[in-house]
Amino acid sequence: MTTGKPKINKLYAISSQNSKYVFSLPLKNVIKIGKRKYEIKLKHDEKFGTYILWKNRKYPVEVVRSRQNKYEILFNDISYTFTIETPFGYKRLKVLSKQKGKKEKEFIKAPMPGKIVDVLVREGSQVLTGEPVAVLEAMKMQNEIQSPVSGTVIKVSARPNTNVVKDDILVEIKVEA
Amino acid sequence: MKKIKRILIANRGEIAVRIMKTARKMGIKTIAIKTAVEPSAMYLSYADIVYDNTEDESEIPVFLNIDRIIEIAKKTDADAIHPGYGFLAENAYFADKCLDNGIIFIGPSPDSIYKIGNKTIARKIALANKIPMAMGSQDNIANEEEAVKIAEKIGYPVIIKAASGGGGRGMRIVRNPEDMEKLFIIASREAEKAFNDPSVFIEKYIENPKHIEFQILGDKKGNIIHLGERECSIQRKHQKLLEEAPSCALDEKLREEMGMMAVKLASAAGYYSAGTVEFLLDSDRNFYFMEMNTRIQVEHPVTEEITGIDLIEQQIRIAAGEELKIKQSDVKINGWAIECRINAEDVQAGFAPDPGKIEKLSLPDEDYIRVDTGVTEGSVIVPSYDSMIAKLIVKGHDRRDALKKCKLALDKVWIKGVKTTLPFFRMLVRHPKFIDGSFTTSFIDELNQYYYNSEYEEMIAAWLATKLFIEENLSEDSIKLDFSESREINPWLLNKRLSQF
Repeated sequence: MTTGKPKINKLYAISSQNSKYVFSLPLKNVIKIGKRKYEIKLKHDEKFGTYILWKNRKYPVEVVRSRQNKYEILFNDISYTFTIETPFGYKRLKVLSKQKGKKEKEFIKAPMPGKIVDVLVREGSQVLTGEPVAVLEAMKMQNEIQSPVSGTVIKVSARPNTNVVKDDILVEIKVEA
Repeated sequence: MKKIKRILIANRGEIAVRIMKTARKMGIKTIAIKTAVEPSAMYLSYADIVYDNTEDESEIPVFLNIDRIIEIAKKTDADAIHPGYGFLAENAYFADKCLDNGIIFIGPSPDSIYKIGNKTIARKIALANKIPMAMGSQDNIANEEEAVKIAEKIGYPVIIKAASGGGGRGMRIVRNPEDMEKLFIIASREAEKAFNDPSVFIEKYIENPKHIEFQILGDKKGNIIHLGERECSIQRKHQKLLEEAPSCALDEKLREEMGMMAVKLASAAGYYSAGTVEFLLDSDRNFYFMEMNTRIQVEHPVTEEITGIDLIEQQIRIAAGEELKIKQSDVKINGWAIECRINAEDVQAGFAPDPGKIEKLSLPDEDYIRVDTGVTEGSVIVPSYDSMIAKLIVKGHDRRDALKKCKLALDKVWIKGVKTTLPFFRMLVRHPKFIDGSFTTSFIDELNQYYYNSEYEEMIAAWLATKLFIEENLSEDSIKLDFSESREINPWLLNKRLSQF
């Protein structure tokens, strides 16, 4: 059961914006762009830290967070979040999301007028039900705005130090189980 | 004329380093103040004398503590104090206290700091000298009829603003006279609801302006010149991110006209030292005086690069009583300079500050690049100070060349440990509106995305995520699991998952 090679011949990396990247296994150190193939290497040295060597150029990279099959990667100063799925897992995910009555997107709105003092998530952040996404200052109190769902943040409209009115959309979340 | 031999720098970070570099060039000794907040900050290693203020238990941070600074200046025998920008740079009382204690304040007179810093007085001076301004109602508007009358006088479009608050509440733009009465009532009602005060006033509304500012230099003998303009329209919530000199919106004639007005205003206020006169330029090329800043500004390097004049050096000479050796006709603009403020901010989270430790830092070293910074590898960007990491300044022989060099320079900056504004600038230098110069102060607000990444960058990141997944879950030898804090992989779940295949 736990022995031998798993019969997976490809993996899908799905971004927070739902772009799907397919990689055949075993994973090659090569990226294909159109018809051309380019070598890619993950390296580390004292001066630059961890970096990716691509087309003769070094790019800074860091793994910010990983949780089960979700990874937050900071590459060339931009954060990306991916979910890695096997073909079976991906198929199952699509079936689940087609379930009737299932809300795909959640819009978190300001419950009252006030000032956003803190934005706690960014595009791609994973949130769990109850996790705070922003802090709203109103009536001389600071209020945590919590996410009512679990999922991935797909858009952050709230900006720190700006005023909002009731029902202003703060954060958009793609609902996941 | 008193010779300056020792300068106490009442500031920190990159501007402290900047001032010290020029002082050293002039053979002047510098004194820096060491604080408990950042006891190993880079600026300290540039100073000749470091005053240890780490035991200071005062509630007031030292750079805002007038008495403390004067005390330190006396203890260290400083002839002069340079306030830098921010902190006490535009505090007339501080400037006064320096003079009272026989210390030269490297900046303008306390009187001009006060007058120009007071918006009402500054506007009165501008008005008296026929400097174009956005007109506004003197007092709050009593009723709809008065609103219509005043708007007529000012000239449409106008903006109604709440007297007691901001944030867009009680604010309405009126473009047509027939809408005035209705919008006045709506704005008043909204103001009352939001601030318990229906009072509103009216101002000329300048549609999507460009922010153009002029660098002024004056000596204590009344000679005043301008060193051309800076284009500072790339700003977010009034925080500048990128500045350039000159501006592609100005031709020689407009530059001369605006420059003359800037000098006129500074002259009328009896100004000396370095200062900046800010204007708004509308789409019809009308300019309006907004305010004057009585300090050296963050973005001063772009002016230095195109004029070849060291502004800090000029400030020190002027403060020592020297007469300005540069005449207006001597000022020549050569080439084009662009400055990018590399801040520790997360562009993907709406420029939220991202304080932290700079783990790796590699800054470019080319003849067309100048980097002004106050941090090194290992420095910590602290929430209590600003989020600036470095100012990346490039110089080209024209704007196109400067843009090309800026693109190159941005890819030579390597920072690990905090997120930075680099992806924003990489997008900016490729944005058609920035390239063609048509951008205004509303540019950032109108953006759909704040950053740039080329098409393959996400793919590379995806490849890496996949590689990590494989190494952690599908390795042939065993299931390698990393139990370090940041990872929460459940081994039982993994086993279950793998067994399905």
